[in-house]
Amino acid sequence: MYPPNMLLQTVVAPAFTALVIAIVGRRLGKHVGWISGGVLAYTSFLLFLSGFKVLKEGHVYEEYVWAEFLNLKWGFLADGLSLPIALIMNLLCAACAIHSIEYIEHKVKIEHGERREGLHTLYQALFLLFPTGLVGISLSTNLVQLYFFFELTLIPAALMLAFFGYIDRERIAMMYFIWNHVGAGLYLLGIVIAYFQVGSFEINALSALLESPMAFWVVLFILLGMLIKMAVFGFHVWLPWAHGEHPIAQIVAAIVGLGAYIIARVLIQQLYQVFMMFSVPVMVLALITMVYGALLTLAQDDTKRLYACSTISQTAYTLLGLAYGTNLSIVGGIFYFLSHVIGKCILLSVAGIILTQTELRDMRLMGGLGAKMPVTITLCVIGSLILSAIPPFSGFPSELIMFIGIFAGGQIDLLRLTIALLAISATILTVIYTFWPIRRIFFGPLPENLKHVKEAPLTMTGPLIVLSFLALLLGVYPRFVTDFLLMWIGGLGVP
Amino acid sequence: MELTASAWLCWISPLAGAPIILLADKISRWLRDGLAVGFPFLSLIASLLLLPNLFNGVYFEEEIAWFSILGFRPISVGVLVDPLSIVMVNVVTFISFLIMVYSLKYMEHEQGVARYWFFMNLFIGGMVLLVMSNNFIFFLVGWKIVGLCSYTLIGHYYRDEQRHWIGGPPPTPRYPPSYCGLKAWIVTNIGDTLLLAGLILLYVYAGTANFTELFKFSSQWMPEVASKPGMLTLIGILLLCGPLGKSAQFPLHEWLPEAMAGPAPVSALIHAATMVKAGVYMIARFLPIFYYGYWVGGFDEALSFFLLAAYIGAFTAFLTGTQAMVSLELKKALAYSTMSQIGYMMLSLGIAGLNPKALVYGYLAGLFHLISHALFKAALFLGSGTMIHGCKSIYMSDMGGLKRHMPITWFLMWVASLSLAGFPLLSGFWSKDAILISCLLAENYWLFTFALGTAAVTAFYSIRFMGLSFHGEKSSHLAKLEERGERPREASPIMWIPYAIMVGLTILLGILGPNFEGLLHEVFKGFFYGEPPLPTNGVLSPIPLQVYVTSASIGIFLCGAIPAYMLYVTRKASPEKILSRYPVLKPLRSFFWDRWRIDSFYNMIFVERMLRLRPFIGEVAERVMDVAFNLKIPMLMEFSYLKTRRLQIGILSYYAFYVTLFMAILIISLLAVWPFVPT
Repeated sequence: MYPPNMLLQTVVAPAFTALVIAIVGRRLGKHVGWISGGVLAYTSFLLFLSGFKVLKEGHVYEEYVWAEFLNLKWGFLADGLSLPIALIMNLLCAACAIHSIEYIEHKVKIEHGERREGLHTLYQALFLLFPTGLVGISLSTNLVQLYFFFELTLIPAALMLAFFGYIDRERIAMMYFIWNHVGAGLYLLGIVIAYFQVGSFEINALSALLESPMAFWVVLFILLGMLIKMAVFGFHVWLPWAHGEHPIAQIVAAIVGLGAYIIARVLIQQLYQVFMMFSVPVMVLALITMVYGALLTLAQDDTKRLYACSTISQTAYTLLGLAYGTNLSIVGGIFYFLSHVIGKCILLSVAGIILTQTELRDMRLMGGLGAKMPVTITLCVIGSLILSAIPPFSGFPSELIMFIGIFAGGQIDLLRLTIALLAISATILTVIYTFWPIRRIFFGPLPENLKHVKEAPLTMTGPLIVLSFLALLLGVYPRFVTDFLLMWIGGLGVP
Repeated sequence: MELTASAWLCWISPLAGAPIILLADKISRWLRDGLAVGFPFLSLIASLLLLPNLFNGVYFEEEIAWFSILGFRPISVGVLVDPLSIVMVNVVTFISFLIMVYSLKYMEHEQGVARYWFFMNLFIGGMVLLVMSNNFIFFLVGWKIVGLCSYTLIGHYYRDEQRHWIGGPPPTPRYPPSYCGLKAWIVTNIGDTLLLAGLILLYVYAGTANFTELFKFSSQWMPEVASKPGMLTLIGILLLCGPLGKSAQFPLHEWLPEAMAGPAPVSALIHAATMVKAGVYMIARFLPIFYYGYWVGGFDEALSFFLLAAYIGAFTAFLTGTQAMVSLELKKALAYSTMSQIGYMMLSLGIAGLNPKALVYGYLAGLFHLISHALFKAALFLGSGTMIHGCKSIYMSDMGGLKRHMPITWFLMWVASLSLAGFPLLSGFWSKDAILISCLLAENYWLFTFALGTAAVTAFYSIRFMGLSFHGEKSSHLAKLEERGERPREASPIMWIPYAIMVGLTILLGILGPNFEGLLHEVFKGFFYGEPPLPTNGVLSPIPLQVYVTSASIGIFLCGAIPAYMLYVTRKASPEKILSRYPVLKPLRSFFWDRWRIDSFYNMIFVERMLRLRPFIGEVAERVMDVAFNLKIPMLMEFSYLKTRRLQIGILSYYAFYVTLFMAILIISLLAVWPFVPT
């Protein structure tokens, strides 16, 4: 039998733990991270169980009272779309919680010159709001709830940046907060307009909007909001800063991708016809973003900023998949986003490991580290293989499905075909910007001042090894994700 | 007998074995090395078991669904056992096994042996998967895996010690192995990505990735493709880009010379005998589809696939052949020659599609050349590994007179070189002749002339290669080594026996000669005249044509071989003297030496431009947007609040005025909208 209120537990347990940690966690010092890890492992297990139920029954739905007068309910829905996303987000959080134990220990030591147990508590308490927010976003059934969880992720993200970030962190935290809040504000504008048209905040009720002329504006505002959050070209200027200086950019990169989830869940699932009116401009924007993002990544000399910038380009692939609007391009796009966040989590953590072990961020000062850090270089290569879509990792099947969908959509006219060809050619840049840094960081002779460098402890690399196996598993057996996503898209009637 | 298990085993064994080797490394060295050779051996046995199927004509395929996607046939992982795959898989596993045995000794004292074994096994698994796959998705998986292994193995000496650098001597730049690996990885990925685009387009139209179905139902999907002008050409070009990258053909050929930075067995296995042949295999695999499209379906655009393959192949053969004529680095000379010989194979397969008369002969000539080249070129590379080990130098000019020190290697290398040069009655002679004959069968005299001319170049550089390294006086470098008591010695039997076996087979193929071609023809009957049959006319070449071509090719061999023999073996004439007598040749030599300036051109256009673009993107373009959004807009806010702040000056009468003003505006606007408010 399944445990009761599985989805509610998944969402609330981390937040509740955060509260407990904040109150009594101080005594545990850095070991408080194991509590977060444990709770997240438990909630991941719950989601895993829900997965079985979803496969058997099609979906898992839980409903709780919220605000009757606005016709609002807390609804948690695990279906083909939300379950894989929620599960992978939760696993990422679990991995990062354990990974960051030593990371924060080192960070605090460098910054304050001594150990400060309270900072661990602060870090982990804030961190635990992420899984609540991320899983909450994935499972939400109404637009206000979606907004609530989206804004919830913003709080720890901005605060952790301000407390534990790097260069110029307070200003960048403010900047990050404002940019994302503007995005969320546009989204809010969209849903309020929608509410006055259909009289409900339920996502399912939105299709009633299709007849209304206001549907165009609703889609426009929500889309704009998400484009800011997904850092498309023009709106991307916050991302290299915020992700580059963020202590746990791994999770923040996942938030970026969740913009794609909202587009899929709200706009594609409910307002497909209206969304497709925006398809060509979004495609063009995505193409520009992926090329510019890749060039921007190539221009970086700083490891953290490097992998931060690559998020811009990678997210644009997902956006392109969504914009083509064929069922395979959407499924592939979402799968690609999941594969990318796993890869990006590994790569950003590798940048973190290098920072901890060598206290360096500038690749011009590195070289030859491969001889000293065999596990780290392996992880870095695996992360790069995921991003570059090389089998046997998850990047390959996801990119394959996405581009099959994109080229299928490219049959309509020459413009779509050209964009598809250009976009697939742009993946070459991914190979360049992931593998060139590997050479700069890990190959060549070892500089004299790095001779003392040691491999990172297992608590830092272990979670990443688990994630690598996850990516390998999804690469070898993609049905763990595609079966769910296809189940969802099959019910939509998208061409 | 259907041996499905062995068809699966031959690629799963090394692929699954690779990680086991990493674990075994933790236990014992002997176990690790044993397993590293054991998995390829298992693979070899499995593929040898498939050989009888060639003669009893039992061909089959088997597949397991990988995942299903809406609107298309599920993507499967499967094996296809047909003449092409059986021949290829045996070539691959046989040569792989011998090279693994050679590596046992060669890599004994090197760094990162476990890593080496891991990637070599992964490579063999990927390569066999590529060959055995019954659909192009897993073909692509294998294709990308071998590319990855090529990258890591070229950069095996990732610490970039000076002795592993390649290139030079100054002023020619030298490159570290990690650079060479990256270069190979990026250049081949350009081809791979375009290939992926082509395959996906094909998939979208045909709805299947299965090779057999693709061919069988081509009459159904190809009209739809052809109804869009340019689409079939586009698919053809995109598909060809993969082989151009992987098989190092113009214009994506510039990575292979640098790929020689890897250990010698890597060059032998990946960059001579197997991976670089994957492109040829792919063209052979897709040939029936396009052939059928043009000669039966009547879609003109399908011909572009063959035209492109033939002309690019012929051009690359000549282009890289000339570079081999002047190269000083032992392995690089062989690398140029590899590209040149693969050019011949591409030419041959291209020709096969250009004229039904040449189909069977051209196709089989390409395959025959692939087999014979794999044998003698792998032998040459393994031999050169021994030589480089012994002489501690990559330059042929640092060798000379090695005949005395390495008699066995000397003999074996001579046979292999002569086979490469097209010496009568060795395997290379027959296979090259077959390609020349198919040019004539296709009545394409331009390509014939071109290929014949390149044969002279081939003879020249093969003999030069042997002369420079084994004959003449010993170089000052060797003399210095001898003073230090480090005389080059003959390799241990574990090293020379593998290439002795390859050379032995080269001789055997040479003796069999035309009989082997007949055998291939017999075996491939089912392939050409299967369901649906490919239209051909003419089965084997007419005898008079063979006599002409044989005498022409012996003549052209002598044209290239005699000057090389006099210049480099007997050293009766000196190349320097000839150059000073005919100064016209000097710029030609430096043109060839600089690889026709193509590499420096690419470097200038792509690498340097990119490096110059970096500061522009990072500091100019990004900065402009950054400043506009993140500084100017906040400054605007600051500006406006500073301005509005002035309104609050703390004098009560001013505030009273503001309140009055506000009330007035409120009342006026209320009055203004009053009439419109519905009651």
